[in-house]
Amino acid sequence: MMPRFTVIAAAVLCLTCLFAAPAAASEARDALENTINQVLTELKKPAMRDPATRQPVLANIERIIKQLFSFDELSMRTVGPKWKSFTPEQKAQFKTAFEDLLRARYLHSMDGYDGEKITYTGETASTKGDKVEIQTVVESDGKAVPVAYRMLKADRWLIYDVIIEGVSLVQNYRSQFQSILDKDDVDTLVRMIRQKTEEIAAGKTGS
Amino acid sequence: MLKIIVAVSLLLLLPVPGRDACAAEFPFGAKLLAPDQDTYETSGEGGRVAGSDHLPSLDEDDAYADQVGRIIADPLEPVNRAFFVINDVILEHAARPLSAGYTFVTPEFMRKGISNFFYNLNFPVRFTNNLLQGKPLAAGVEMSRFIFNTTAGLGGLFNPAEKLETVVPVSDEDTGQTMGVWGIGEGLYLVWPLLGPKTLRDTVGLGGDYLLSPTTWIDDPWQLGLGLSALEVVNNLDQILDMYDQLKLGAVDPYASVRDAYVQNRRAKIRQ
Repeated sequence: MMPRFTVIAAAVLCLTCLFAAPAAASEARDALENTINQVLTELKKPAMRDPATRQPVLANIERIIKQLFSFDELSMRTVGPKWKSFTPEQKAQFKTAFEDLLRARYLHSMDGYDGEKITYTGETASTKGDKVEIQTVVESDGKAVPVAYRMLKADRWLIYDVIIEGVSLVQNYRSQFQSILDKDDVDTLVRMIRQKTEEIAAGKTGS
Repeated sequence: MLKIIVAVSLLLLLPVPGRDACAAEFPFGAKLLAPDQDTYETSGEGGRVAGSDHLPSLDEDDAYADQVGRIIADPLEPVNRAFFVINDVILEHAARPLSAGYTFVTPEFMRKGISNFFYNLNFPVRFTNNLLQGKPLAAGVEMSRFIFNTTAGLGGLFNPAEKLETVVPVSDEDTGQTMGVWGIGEGLYLVWPLLGPKTLRDTVGLGGDYLLSPTTWIDDPWQLGLGLSALEVVNNLDQILDMYDQLKLGAVDPYASVRDAYVQNRRAKIRQ
């Protein structure tokens, strides 16, 4: 009896391993696709076309997107090794400031739906199945831009990095923050992030 | 030469209805562009559209989060930062007004046509570098596209080959990428006046691209070659400015952001 039980147990375990990863991946993809579709629906609303009536729609988009991102992970990963030396208060301040910056940056570039088409081109899962990368191609104005989302499983699937044309958002901010933290302290960094957010809000963008 | 900085329209070869009809008239092109079987699927594992191969894998990126964000050796940082500021002034106060004027007097279809023309003309750069990287099939695709676009695309003003599926994943190859594939290191990071960010390797690579560009060899009259190069640069300016604006928009330290984005993007391209 014993050996047979072991065989069955092993078989079940193997099957679980086999199925765990793909199942995880499509679950994450569902969450991502669902959010993107909701955002597209909002963007297509007629109210988006007029700057005067745009605010409530943007607020909706903000709320929808926020639910899909893990700002804890984003903050920890962008700061890197120095995160451990931040006081809890500094961590909280940094997180809020960074979140505000990302929000300002992305909401700024949304001025309506231009017929962007999103194609899902593939997905990869980690060995444990706790992380996935969903690959997409965004087409707009005849240009195709590869965009990949890295997600991890908390109580639900959350994005912790976005990779656009091979450029990881986390890595890009990490190299900026590193170069600032080499010379300055955490409070200066937080102040600089806030200042940048204000610049974006004030419309000082160069374009 | 700024053309090298610009990622000229990334070719996405999605299957479109009627592609067989187009390709049928060009037997040579048809062979590589629209085969009946073994077609490369965009949704497959080609890695061409993913572009994250150069990053740590999902299994490793937690460990990576504990590493330092410095991506490349930058011993000349103070000098580079100075040139970065100079380039910023040039972009904002010379390139932007110039581009705005050009865009105002040149309709979009003309700009697109000119951009297509130069993309097609620079085929030798992509063809040669595909061969040098041991990608004969991709080189064949480039050759087919060149023939197809030069004929059916009226001398390259249109890009009908863009819509055709290919047998292998194809991405725009240049000399700097070839050197990377051969295992030559990036070397230090440099910011050149006007040319912008480059690794040492890509600076040498730029010389290779220059020698492979047809416009380089127009010397009778030499003004024609120079004029064409100038037109190409001006025609591409709005794309460069767009890219620059995107990076600058959310950057807390624009210099570090551009340096990192440039290096990451180049590494992704070498993996393709």
